[in-house]
This record gives sequence, C-alpha cells and structure tokens, in this order.
Amino acid sequence: MASQTSPWLRSARGPMFVAMLPAIVLIVALIYFTGWAVTYSFTNLELTGPNSLNWKWIGVDNYVRLFTRQGFLSSLWVTVIFTFFSAIVGQSVFGFVLAAAMRGLRGWGRTCVEVALMLGWLLPDIVAAFLWQATTTDIGFVNTLILQPLGFPPYDFLANYALVVVIVANIWKGTAWSYLLFSAALDSISREILEAAKVDGATGLQRTWLVTLPIIRPHIATNMLFITIWTFTYFALIYALTGGGPGSSTEVLSIFMYHQSFGVGKLGYGAAISIAMVLIVGVLSVFYLRQLKEPK
Amino acid sequence: MESYGRTSPLMALALAFVAVIWVSPFAWLVTTAIDPKTTGVLEIPRAIGIDNFVSALSGTAGLQFVNSVWLSVGTATLTVIVAGAAAYPLSRLNLPGRNLLLWGLVLLRLLPSAGIIVPLYFSALSLHVLNNVGVMLALTVLNLPFALLLLKNFFDSVPIELEEAAYVEGANVWQIVTQIVMPLSRSGVAVVWFFSFTSAWNEFLLPLIFARTDTAFPMSVGLFAAFGQHGAVDYGFLAAYSLVYAAPAVIVYFLLRRNLNTGFAGVGVKG
Amino acid sequence: MLKRNLLAAAAAVAILAGMAPALAADLSIEYNDSFAALVENGVKNFEAANPGQKVNLVKLPGDGYQDRVALDLSSGSAPDLIMVDSFLVAEYAGSNYLLPLDDMLKGWDQFQYYSKGLLDVASYNGKVYALPTDTDVRMLWYNRADFAKAGLPDPWTPKTWDDVLAAAQKLKDAGVTDAWLIPAGTKAEEAATMQGFYMAMLGAGSPTGDANRLRVRADDKWIGDSPAIRKTLQLYHEVYVDKKLGVGSDNYTLDFAATNKAFLDGKIGIMASGSWENSCLWDCNGVNVPSQADRDKIVAWTPWPGNGEPGNKTTTNISGGWTIAISAKAPDPANSFKLLTAIFDKKNFLDWTVSGHRMAVRTDIATDPAYTADPFLAKATELAKDTTGRDTVPGYAKVSALVQQATADILDGKSVDDVVKEYHDGLVDEFGADKVVTIQ
Repeated sequence: MASQTSPWLRSARGPMFVAMLPAIVLIVALIYFTGWAVTYSFTNLELTGPNSLNWKWIGVDNYVRLFTRQGFLSSLWVTVIFTFFSAIVGQSVFGFVLAAAMRGLRGWGRTCVEVALMLGWLLPDIVAAFLWQATTTDIGFVNTLILQPLGFPPYDFLANYALVVVIVANIWKGTAWSYLLFSAALDSISREILEAAKVDGATGLQRTWLVTLPIIRPHIATNMLFITIWTFTYFALIYALTGGGPGSSTEVLSIFMYHQSFGVGKLGYGAAISIAMVLIVGVLSVFYLRQLKEPK
Repeated sequence: MESYGRTSPLMALALAFVAVIWVSPFAWLVTTAIDPKTTGVLEIPRAIGIDNFVSALSGTAGLQFVNSVWLSVGTATLTVIVAGAAAYPLSRLNLPGRNLLLWGLVLLRLLPSAGIIVPLYFSALSLHVLNNVGVMLALTVLNLPFALLLLKNFFDSVPIELEEAAYVEGANVWQIVTQIVMPLSRSGVAVVWFFSFTSAWNEFLLPLIFARTDTAFPMSVGLFAAFGQHGAVDYGFLAAYSLVYAAPAVIVYFLLRRNLNTGFAGVGVKG
Repeated sequence: MLKRNLLAAAAAVAILAGMAPALAADLSIEYNDSFAALVENGVKNFEAANPGQKVNLVKLPGDGYQDRVALDLSSGSAPDLIMVDSFLVAEYAGSNYLLPLDDMLKGWDQFQYYSKGLLDVASYNGKVYALPTDTDVRMLWYNRADFAKAGLPDPWTPKTWDDVLAAAQKLKDAGVTDAWLIPAGTKAEEAATMQGFYMAMLGAGSPTGDANRLRVRADDKWIGDSPAIRKTLQLYHEVYVDKKLGVGSDNYTLDFAATNKAFLDGKIGIMASGSWENSCLWDCNGVNVPSQADRDKIVAWTPWPGNGEPGNKTTTNISGGWTIAISAKAPDPANSFKLLTAIFDKKNFLDWTVSGHRMAVRTDIATDPAYTADPFLAKATELAKDTTGRDTVPGYAKVSALVQQATADILDGKSVDDVVKEYHDGLVDEFGADKVVTIQ
C-alpha cells in the first residue's frame, strides 16, 4: 500500500478525485435503483390495474407472503440445487481438475481444450439454449448419435430431466471462468514448494491436497464467491431453455421473480423477492469472505 | 516454462475426450447452418452453401449485427474508462472505508437486473435515453461494482515506485498515467474490457425493453424474436444467425488471449 | 478520414432536419408479429394516402408480448397505437392507459358494421377503447396420419372426455409420444387458460348459475372452488401425470413454431388450439402456406366435447381475439385514429381476414362473398354461434395467471386438493374474501 505522504500522490490527488466523479455518479444511480427496489418491496405496486395507480404501503406483507404462499420456498430449493451442483460442484471442480491436468502442457493440445471450453462460455445464452434443446430432445444429438446406434429407444431428456439438463448446460457454459482463474492461480504457485514436497515423498494427490489447495485457498474462495453469485441469479439460459418448466421444476428464483413481476404483474412482490435474493446471497458472501480472511 | 510433468497418454485421451464433449453440441449448429436445404433435424448436410449466412448478414439482421457491435464496444469502453479512472485512485489513495464500499457495491450487484429494470426504464425515459445509449449507460452502471473491484486489485499489484520515480523526474500526471500506468495495466484492463464486451454482447433483457423498433434491436434480441415467431421457422437462417452472433465474442477472445491469461493472475483477490 | 466523413454526414442531416417543414409528427404502432400482414399493409396504405406522414413500426415477437406492452403502458412511453389482446382492454382502460374512442368512432362510416358482442369485450364502463381485429373459436386439432396409424376414425367426433382420452391412449400405444397436448403452465400464458383450462371447464359443470365458469357474472364474484374446476384439474392430472398422455415440457419449448412443426410431423397427436391454426400451423402471415386442400390432408379438427355428464354442454367454445387501441398519452389522437381506420379499412381488413382465415368481426365482411366462400371459415362460424367470452373485467389477468399456475402445479405432480386450495387462497388474496365464492 502506498504511503500517503508520497509527493507524487499528494500532487495527483486533485486529478484523481476528478477522475472518480463519473464512477461516483453511476454508483449513486445504482444505489438509487436498488433503493427503489427496496422501497417498493413494502408496497403493493402492480404493473396494471388499480394498484398501478393507487398503490399502498403494506409493510412487510410481501415478505410474509414469501413464506406463507407457495412458490418462493420451492423456487429457493431449486435454485440452491442448481447453484450447488452446477457451480460449486460442477464448474469449480471441473475447472480445477482441468487447470491442474493441463498445468504443464503447452502447445496446441492445451489450446484446443481451452478453446473448446471458451466456446461454451462465449456462446450467447439464447444460442446455448437452442443448442442444448437440440442436443437433448428425443431427436437430438444425444439420441441420434449415441443412444440409437446402441439400440435404445429415443428418450427425451429435456422433458423428463429438465433440471439435470439445465445443470449440465450451465456446467458446460461456465467452467471456462473457473478454469481460467485456477489456471492463473496454479501458475502463481512457486515451483520450489512443490518440488520440496515431491522430495519429501508426497504423492501427486497428497501434494495437491496438502500443499496446492491450501496455498490457493483465497483464489478458491474468490472463485466460489463470484460463481455462486452469478449462478444464484442466473436467468437467461434457463429461461430460454425451459421457461422455468415443466411445471416449476426449473423455476429458479430469478425466473420466479421475473414471472411475478411481469407475468402476474405484482411489482411490489417481485421487488421483495429480489431483496430476499440479495440477502440470501449476501449471507453466503459473508461466509466466503470469512474464508478469505483466515490466516493460512 | 519447463513442463511440470509428462502427460500420460491416458491423460491426453481424457483431455481430448473432454474437448470433444464440450464442442459436440455445436455439431447441430454447424451442420444446420451450412446446409441451405436443412430441415432442422440433425443429419449429414445434404448440400453445402453459404446461403444461410448471406441472409443472416443482410437486411434487418445485418443492421442488428451493427447495433450489437456498437452497443458492446461502447459499453466495454465506457466501463473501462469510468471504472479505471476510479479504481486507480481507490488503489493508490488510502481512503477510509474503501473495502467496505467495494464489497458493498458487489453486494448491491446481487440484485438481479430484472429486479431493477422498472426503475431503470423510468429513469431512461426521463433522461430521454430510451435507446442503445441508454442500454450502454445502464450496463455500465451494472458493470461498475465488479469492474471496480477487479481493476482496483489489479492496480494494487502494480508497484507504485515507478510512478514515484517518474514524478521525481518531473513527469506530470497526464504523462505518468498514459506512459507508465496504462501500459502496465494492459492485462487487467483487457480482462475488464473483455467481460464487459461479452456481457453486453449477450445482453438481452435491457435492449428488449429499451429499444423501440426492431431496427434498433441488437442481435441478441433479434435472435430471440426470430425464435418466438409464429411463422415457419427457417432453422438454417437461425443457425447461421447464431453462428454469426457467436463469432465476434470468440474473435475478441482470441485477440485478447495473451492479455487475459496474465490479467487473471493479477485480479485474484488477496483478502 | 472515415470519422470526418461521418461527422460531416451527421451535420448535414441535422441541418436538413432542422429545415424540413413542420410535418405532423411521426406515428408509431406496436404490434404482435402474427398480425404483421394486417398492420403493415394498413400502414402502407396510410402512408400512401398521407404523403410525408411516416409511421414507425414496432414489431414484437409473440413471446413475452404482453409483458412488453404492460411495461410500455405503465411507464407512459407506449406508441400511439398498440395491439392488445382483448381480455386486457378492460384492465388497461381501468388503469387509464387507453383512449376512449366513442366520439371519434361516431364520425367513421364503417363503425356501424362491428358486431356488438365483440365491441362489448373491447369496452369498459360503457365506452369503447379498442377495435377488434378478429375473433376465434377453439377446437381439437388432430393429425390424420397419426389417427390412421392408430386405427382411429377419421373424421373423428368424440362426444365426451372419455372418448378423447381413449383416442389419446390408442395414439400413445401406436407410438405417438405426445398424444394429447392441452396447453398448461406459465410459459403458455393465456393459451393455457383459454385453449386449455376454460375450454375443458365449460363442459365440466352446469351452465346454471355459471357453475362452469371462473366467475359468477350476476354477482360479480370469482369462483374459488367448484366441481367444474376440480374436474378440469383432474383431467389435467390424468393427461399429464396418471396416464402420461401428454408431455409437460412441450408447453415450455423455446420456440412455438417447433411445437407446430412437431404437430404437423405427427409427434403430437391431438392439439387443443384455435381457429387461427388453419394458417398459423404453417405461417400466420400466409407466406408459403399450402392450399386448403393440402392442409386438410394433414390435419383436421373437431369441437371440444363436454365431459358427458347430464346437464353439461355437449360441445364447448370460448372466443377471444385481439384488438388495436390508442394510447391515452398519444400526442395526436386525431391522426392516430386516422391510422387506425386505415388499418381497418374494409379492403385491407377483408383481404387479411380472408387470406388468413380469420373470423370476421364485422357484418360487412362476414357477408362478403369472398368470406362466405371459404369452407373453413363457414364451418368455424358454425361453432361461433354457441360461444362465450372471457370474464373481461379488471383483475382477469391475475385470475388467468392463477389458473396457469394451477396447471403448472398439476404438472409438478401436486394433488388436485392442494392445487384448488392454492388457487382459492390466491383469489382471496387478490380480491378479498367477499369477492370469492365456493360452489358445492
């Protein structure tokens, strides 16, 4: 951290404060928008109808409704399962394993795998949804090229295992981020420590578990934090692929909120759902941050 | 860099398998796009031609492509400029409560964008920016928390001694920023620019709400609209359109790859 | 170099724009792409008749159309003309989003031909707020090749729900995975309520005292629980859960056109939908649609039967349709109305109605030889003789959302009792306990 008394900094303070102004304006805007959502979560504002003109303050009714009426808790459960399996287990583990496996590799082999991963990530959500639908329906890729040649009758995965397909699609889509992060993290571990461990007789697995993982712990925590936040609030791919269905089997919180706000038109309730989402992920984030701060 | 260890053939096979699995969903997309007579079913193309691509790039579709480029480049550049200008002082000046501010912003950002879309819409309306410029501003606002965090961490890892030395030698603020700070922060900036670009390229909800006409839609919305139509579906067009839509993000990635790899190492949060 | 040229061009445009004589401001119209042919032709005629007048077309996909319009209206930035599904007219008019049209309609010579019943649907508190584009009837479409494969009679005339279920079972046994598609769930939106739930419910209870509806009209109360509602939900349960005659996820596809294609290809055996499918199965706007004779070889239709219990209707029907309205905030109502009448001018309207096989909303069109000569429309009009409409009072949209959620809950496997309780509680939440009744 730079010393405050450095002459360079003292002279640059003026311009630096000016440089911060645009960001401050936009941050104020962000706070305003969030404040709007918080405020309206205590009202019964609606998109159309009498409550769009004459809405009233209803205190914490919307929040009570989260628990007494159907929809929120089941959506929360779906979101937890989705986030846990696709992000925490899927993307992180895959990302780490791939990063570790390709650590020493250079050249076109590694490039191939990297590009393959990145393709999944870069593809726009709606195209990815289109692809995964084409792949997993009963006339899709999995059936025509794998199951049918083996003699099985066509099976519609998307219809019957929607949540699983969505989880797999998200793993496919997002592993690249974890891979890149872990790759950079692993690269930053000095060789000497690992060589020393090798000399001490530790096997590959032991080296990974006892040496590598603890060293990159802050990176693991950072990664988990970001992907948990992103996955928890993810909307586009799932909405395009299944619309939250069939029924509500893939209705994650973001879709539930969207439907309540714009489909049913209850903006106040939708705002309460958003705030609830923020609080939940906020708690998780605090947990992750604690992990970051712990001494190694 | 010396190789960490030999890759066993088994490992190579496993990696190849992973790569193939990852790319396989594309098979449908590619076979459908290059076949002008496609019916949308996965099969060996009956003919190969570029007709689908031509129609994907002409008329309204082509216009929407331009809109996407404008929107994404604009958003990414604006984000980088605004966030960079603020992240640098945040890193150098030991302002009280800056960590709280940064993480507080990230927490704010947890709010799904659909949750603030209504106030965003009303604000854009009153500011008369209910168009792609409005989308750019809105996206920059939404990008700021993460961008600030990433860039600040990145600047933290750039030693200040160089700047101080240059200052001692008589360079002014502008020179120090343009000739020392900026070249050194290339990879961090590349990471943020890349994320902002791809997220703006992907952004669908905001342009749908903000854009008034289908000639103002970016490709993301155009594609969505093409899917939701009640007319006959031209799968060849859709697939080609999807590929055209996916291409720039991929190209940008390749251009920035080197910078991205270095950049990622720098932006890891160090407590 | 390029930048300089661009700047110069921009400056030139700005100067020219400033010099242009003060024209009437541009008009704009927001519409669903299924009606593109009607709107775009009407706009073309309007622009030709009013040189210098430009109209901005905001064409939106059908998916999510309702949400977009709701947002535009509620924020006050809607275009001058908006296409609105008829059941929302009362809702929006009650929120002061739409302009009452009565005064301007008095001066239009073609207004006298509009059918009163349909104008009522597009009215609120006695004032007309929108002009209908079409109406429709609902029926069961079936794929003839599948029926031949399953050995089912064609033409098919089911008389009760059990007949349909039996046919669906035979289809399933013959290998048709999605034997009967009744729209359900929240992604299908109004289709689930109208083409699915309401069509079934109308035949599941006695018409006396509106026991087969969602609302007791005479008392202005919503029905929270009734045998008709329960039986309808039970039907859904049988189709989607017990006998698995339908595939739930077909209600959540990315791409409605894919569902139509699946039906034409025989992957769906029976599809509960409406009269617009005569065109829309191929293309709503009539592009590349095969001849009527060819279409009749692939698909056919039969009216929805009632559930067969005595006292209930033998076949059911409910009609809807879309409308075009003028935003209350339109800066130039007179000019906007001119555009409206250009779109609905007899020639344009008749052409579109006949070529799209839509059902007419005006007597001058319904009696026109071009219309009466259409065999499909003639048969469909028969169905329209005994039809009803939705409960187009403010609040219907919420009730529809609750119905969609109820069907989605059935897809989830919940029991009919639980679903009905949730539906009832939802109504009470929304309208208050004194506005909700239970029919025994």
